[in-house]
Amino acid sequence: MSIYIRAIGNISIQDTLGKSSLEQAIAYAEPHVRCIEPDFKSYLNPMMMRRMSRIIKRAVVSSMVCLQEGGIEQPEAIISGTGLGCIEDTEKFLSAIIDNNEKFLQPTYFIQSTHNTISSQIAIFLKCHSYNNTYTHRGISFETALMDAFVLFKTCRIHTALVGGHDEMTPLYFVQLQKLHFWKEQVHNSLTICTGSDSQTAGALAGEGSICFLMSDEENDRNYAEIKDMQLFYNIKGSEALLQQIEQFLNRNNLNSSDIDVFLCGNSGDCLTDPLYHEIHRKQFAHSTYASYKNLCGEFFTAPAFGLWSAASILKNGKIPDIQRLNNVQTTKIRHLLLFNHYKNKNYSLILLSSCGY
Amino acid sequence: MSQKVYVTGLGIVSGLGIGTTETVQALRTAKSGVGQLKYLQTNHSDIPCAEVPLSDEEIRKMLEFSDNEVITRTSLLGILAAREAFHAAGLKDNLPEMLRLGFLNGTTVGGMERSEQYYKDFINPQSDAYTPYIAAHDCGACSEKIADYIGCFDYVSTTATACSSAVNTLILAYNMIKAGFLDVAIAGGTECLTKFHLNGFNTLMILDKNPCRPFDETRAGLNLGEGAAYLVLESEKVVQQREVKPIAAVAGWGNACDAYHQTASSPDGKGATMAMQQALEMSALEPADIDYISAHGTGTDNNDESEGTAVMNLFGAHIPPISSTKGFTGHTTSAAGSVEMVISLLAMQYRFLPPNLNFTQQMHQLSFNPVERFTENVTIRHLLNNSFGFGGNNSSIICSNVNY
Repeated sequence: MSIYIRAIGNISIQDTLGKSSLEQAIAYAEPHVRCIEPDFKSYLNPMMMRRMSRIIKRAVVSSMVCLQEGGIEQPEAIISGTGLGCIEDTEKFLSAIIDNNEKFLQPTYFIQSTHNTISSQIAIFLKCHSYNNTYTHRGISFETALMDAFVLFKTCRIHTALVGGHDEMTPLYFVQLQKLHFWKEQVHNSLTICTGSDSQTAGALAGEGSICFLMSDEENDRNYAEIKDMQLFYNIKGSEALLQQIEQFLNRNNLNSSDIDVFLCGNSGDCLTDPLYHEIHRKQFAHSTYASYKNLCGEFFTAPAFGLWSAASILKNGKIPDIQRLNNVQTTKIRHLLLFNHYKNKNYSLILLSSCGY
Repeated sequence: MSQKVYVTGLGIVSGLGIGTTETVQALRTAKSGVGQLKYLQTNHSDIPCAEVPLSDEEIRKMLEFSDNEVITRTSLLGILAAREAFHAAGLKDNLPEMLRLGFLNGTTVGGMERSEQYYKDFINPQSDAYTPYIAAHDCGACSEKIADYIGCFDYVSTTATACSSAVNTLILAYNMIKAGFLDVAIAGGTECLTKFHLNGFNTLMILDKNPCRPFDETRAGLNLGEGAAYLVLESEKVVQQREVKPIAAVAGWGNACDAYHQTASSPDGKGATMAMQQALEMSALEPADIDYISAHGTGTDNNDESEGTAVMNLFGAHIPPISSTKGFTGHTTSAAGSVEMVISLLAMQYRFLPPNLNFTQQMHQLSFNPVERFTENVTIRHLLNNSFGFGGNNSSIICSNVNY
């Protein structure tokens, strides 16, 4: 059985909603960038909007756009990945508890605070009783959601799934992660963050996103790409062991590293975490086109969802935007793309995609 | 693909105590874990809860953590239960190389119990106090703390579907083993009591000031609890390879969204009915094959009516013995699914029915009464476990006795 990306809805810090490729990349010169939001009023009625927090509005609209493109009203699964869940409402309820000393509290923020509010609000919006799940695991939150969908397809439980990665970065959470040295103090040009002077410093640019995929096991001319296989690893000791795992992963798909045309990685311009990508590229994929995507979307816990959008876009359009290239290897025909991300050299994800024409 | 998935180890901590032995003893003697708060510092100390009867310091000592270790109560409880399951399945000394081992955790509050104490410092850019605990706040961090203590996992993930988190984690573990992505999984959930949850549920006005009375006409809400429980699941092939005796087989699951309201269940119990029905279909079982239902049974007006209606929808006039054990453990939220699954499997293993504490009066909407007394010498061939969460995340699992 083959699993395809059928449609996408992407709200990010770029102009991506309803677009299958990026027409004009926007450069930022600040360390914390919020999403470019669509006019929610043109998608949601005022009654609905009043009850929805920012992340819910984004998630519902990116889901709507995705399902409309895919021509499906009721997916057989709704699965979300989110690193922080509905953090804005969590913060509001937490602050109210502390500021009012556990008195005079309203339930609204609590009700909206749980991570699974996103999947469940999408389900309520669609009146969809299908399989519904939510994952939250740091930098692999989206990939664990995708893994859930993947095994549901593989065990023949579903034929379609709406899988999303959703995260917002509130000013208060930005401050907290800043204290843990997640972010750069200064960003000169986000687009060249992986290659320019910004790549010499530690930390990343904080981004956000709400990115949904309609996955289907049906062949269709409009499919973006096929997701051949995926795998997640935890706490691999040393890059040699990681190289071995990647090789085994490719081998089980009857491929080896020379078959990979594009090696699309989670480089964020952080001089502490990017060297692992460089090393894997140098040792295993030197012949492949080496590309980044976080110079477009910034870093957030579900940024690999933007990576999957970028991978799907590259395979559908058959070309790699120059702004994403990290080397000069040219490929005439892109057949196989490996999407690789690691979170603090502790969580690793591999997603193997192939072009549908192949 | 057609391989069976077996349960080979159990671990649990709750208000009933530490480990399966203390849990069975409490169930047998009808000793509830619900009582006055001792460890959680809150203005609502008049609200009864079921706390795990150990302080953080005592657990740290048991696990040989230093005072400086950055770890939250959610993880501490999780380690106690995961360690028991790991040992019970014999994985410590009998873990063949090359197997892919996963730690699949369910939690929703994560490290909130510390965050709510340190929050003012967390969000103050000028403060350095407690900064390491910022990194311990998120749910994934809590899962990794547990995984790293046991220390042999190739895969770690975290499910967060509020009160059905643990059952959905068990479903993921089953599916990943079926699909060949894992050979062995330790799966379940953990959650500690927090002011965040206590105040949250309190604003919803669904906390009973007295011990909760699930499926009772006079029920007036739930009692919150805390705890952790894990099951070791492994493929048939690994069971044979390791020559271990399984406790039960996972027969099937259901997951459906009520899609009705963020915090209320539909009165007709649509999502709940669908989840149970799917689990029966996948297990290729008839309602009459189910010998015990471990209900979600929170004790709220809304849940028990909705769930009870769903049970009647599906089982008609022949409703199997059913109980909610939340009168014992309180509602352990994200851990509830695995806490109750472990209790159910202990019942299957030791041939008893867990009672539904504090029941006196039948609900007027329902045709059935829950199990009232600890009943021995009962054969459970197949059991059904329900867990329902905010957002209408409804899930059910069926486990089968391997001796029948």
